[in-house]
Amino acid sequence: MLKIEHLTKHYKGSKKGITDLSLHIAPGDLYAFIGHNGAGKTTTLKCVTGIQDFDAGSIQICGIDLTKDPVLCKQQFAYIPDNPDIYEYLTGIQYLNFTADVFKIGAAKRAERIRTYGDLFEITASLGDLISSYSHGMKQKLALLAALVHEPRLLILDEPFVGLDPKASVLLKDVMRGICAKGGAIFFSTHVLDVAEKLCNKVAIIKDGALVTAGDMETVLKQGQSLESVFMEVAGDDKYDAAN
Amino acid sequence: MTNTMRQIKNLAKLELCNLYGINVFRFTKQQGKKRKYACLFVLWCLLLAMTAFYLGNLSYGLIVLGLEEVVPAYLLMISSTMIFVFGMLKAGSMIFRREGYDVLCALPLPKGVIAVARLFRMYVENGLLTLAVLLPGIAVYAWNARKGVGAAFYVIIVLDIFAAPLIPMSAAVLAGAIVTGISSRMRHKSLAASGLSVLMVLAILYGTSRMAALEGNLDAEMLRDLSAMVMGMLEKIYPPAVWLGIAAVRGDLWMGLFGIFVSVAVFAAVSAGVVLCFANICEHLSGSFATHRYQLGELKAGSVAEALIRREFRRYFSSSVYVTNTVIGPVMGCIFAGTVFVMGADAVEQLLPAGLNTEMLIPFVLAGAFCMMTTTAVSVSMEGKNWWLVKSLPLSVKQVLDAKIGMNLLLILPFYAVSEVLLMFALKPDGRELLWLALVPLVMIVFSCVYGITVNLHFPVLQWENEVSVVKQSASSMLGGLGGFVAAILCALGAVKAGSAYSDLYNGGICAGIVILTAGLYWSNNRFDLCGKIG
Repeated sequence: MLKIEHLTKHYKGSKKGITDLSLHIAPGDLYAFIGHNGAGKTTTLKCVTGIQDFDAGSIQICGIDLTKDPVLCKQQFAYIPDNPDIYEYLTGIQYLNFTADVFKIGAAKRAERIRTYGDLFEITASLGDLISSYSHGMKQKLALLAALVHEPRLLILDEPFVGLDPKASVLLKDVMRGICAKGGAIFFSTHVLDVAEKLCNKVAIIKDGALVTAGDMETVLKQGQSLESVFMEVAGDDKYDAAN
Repeated sequence: MTNTMRQIKNLAKLELCNLYGINVFRFTKQQGKKRKYACLFVLWCLLLAMTAFYLGNLSYGLIVLGLEEVVPAYLLMISSTMIFVFGMLKAGSMIFRREGYDVLCALPLPKGVIAVARLFRMYVENGLLTLAVLLPGIAVYAWNARKGVGAAFYVIIVLDIFAAPLIPMSAAVLAGAIVTGISSRMRHKSLAASGLSVLMVLAILYGTSRMAALEGNLDAEMLRDLSAMVMGMLEKIYPPAVWLGIAAVRGDLWMGLFGIFVSVAVFAAVSAGVVLCFANICEHLSGSFATHRYQLGELKAGSVAEALIRREFRRYFSSSVYVTNTVIGPVMGCIFAGTVFVMGADAVEQLLPAGLNTEMLIPFVLAGAFCMMTTTAVSVSMEGKNWWLVKSLPLSVKQVLDAKIGMNLLLILPFYAVSEVLLMFALKPDGRELLWLALVPLVMIVFSCVYGITVNLHFPVLQWENEVSVVKQSASSMLGGLGGFVAAILCALGAVKAGSAYSDLYNGGICAGIVILTAGLYWSNNRFDLCGKIG
């Protein structure tokens, strides 16, 4: 579904970036991507979604090379950033219609999906209001709705649980599981290690722009360790190691 | 220093630290960004040098005509007009801007302090503008009249530089506050603010033209004294410029102090009013109408192009600064066509220098008005923090940019059509004249839209605090917005040189040249790497 090979991206004049990162996400995978602040998670996601170009390596989505056919590639996935800055001058329904038009979704199908997910996330009644009047959580829900309106095969999310109320978080987890059960895949970054451990079947840990471990959750969590302790072991700092 | 003063100082420092992007330039680690700022700095220097050259020559011309006494007042009039006109369109968005308001309100300081700091920032910007206008002209004046210039002249001029921005800025802030205050209580705030701003600009244009008309009734004795006539005209339009200017020329410290006192008093009164109503207006502006009563009905599907153009229009009409700055040109084009229609072609021709005819110039004048400030020139920058969306959606560069050009063309189209019909009735052109009358503005409009995109792709500003910095102060708005206008002026000068005997050949050549240039720019724009080079 998503094949990242030797991805390298460095910012000029900055030490931040990613080096030689390779990841494979298969259909049905619920893949967590974790790392400390500034480790390179968002940079990776931005490269994968075509928001940012990269220096070396390749990215394939559903077998399509991102650099060769970015438009076709982008039709396969939906992306929700950590801070969904969406068009505040549109109403919720205008934004959803815009997205559906871009993805060429027919009127009946879009209405059905908007009704289903809008009711699920309890946002339908606010769709006639300007997005500028939405709270952070409502914007997050709207971005999610816009992502789901075209039923993507791959869903890429950056910190999806930040700002969501507890009920919406539970619903989102159900939706994520549902997509994977239907043969889709989810790749998301998170700082909530507990959620990642319980929800995902695969995990990747990134430190200073390089992948330190990746694979099946069961393999990564050897000898009954928690994800938290594995994370602190492979990506934690020396002070932590000395203290333990 | 009292606590309030300290707070004002802190906030003013915050407001000023990134003036003209200085702070970003100092601390950015991205070499590309540094290079862009350096380019922008060179452009500003060039613009300043051109302004200095023009104003120096203007002052010298006035001195040669024996009007040296008028020079400081004339320059003060120019700087005041610029401060008022530019300030009026941005004052509301600058003073009452929502960005950062919530964060500042949560700090332990009175809300009025925020208003004072924002007013101070505006004052510093306008002070720099006054300095740029006054300095070259005053230098030429002082050099030419060096024997008659004493220490009092320099003292008063320095005081003038500090005092001159106060009254025009107060008037601009007052107009901006009225427009923002009224529109903040309406549901469609931006649309209301745009409409009110355009109406206000038109009212000012009408008022100043009425004042100029009154000048025609001056008696013969006054006409003999050109200096007194110019001074009289300036005094009618804006008396403080004359008080401050005459005080400097005559070394009259008392008159200078009187002018400064009036300026400070007016500014203090307006500032007090702004501070009083600041919190109220800001709260109304940040309030939103959310009904939570939407019921999902039947939805309609549309094409990608339609969706993109609709989104461009909604973005456009959501920003009053964007609308007022870009709609003035087309409105002026219509007013120009209406004037020709009402006055008649013969009357317009009499206003032109001998040897020039309306048939040659009108297509270029109309094109100049329509190309005065294109929406495309800042359309990429206006995406701001939403730019990630365009980049992550399955859209080609061509689709994104075509929507921006399409929106600009659709916006101008009604104004263009009305102007053309009015001019057709006024000029009664034959087939050949009609061709150029319609084709020349059309070709130049399309060129300016495409050229605007080209410039914005190379000078994008996606991280901005408020829309004013993009629409009015960015390199793209300066180079891209005025590009078509400058091209129209140059073409008009060429048409004058070519003469009416060769007008068909000239117009044909110009149209063909511009079409080729437009096609080249369009081709290159559509191959631009949006992901790699922007954002």
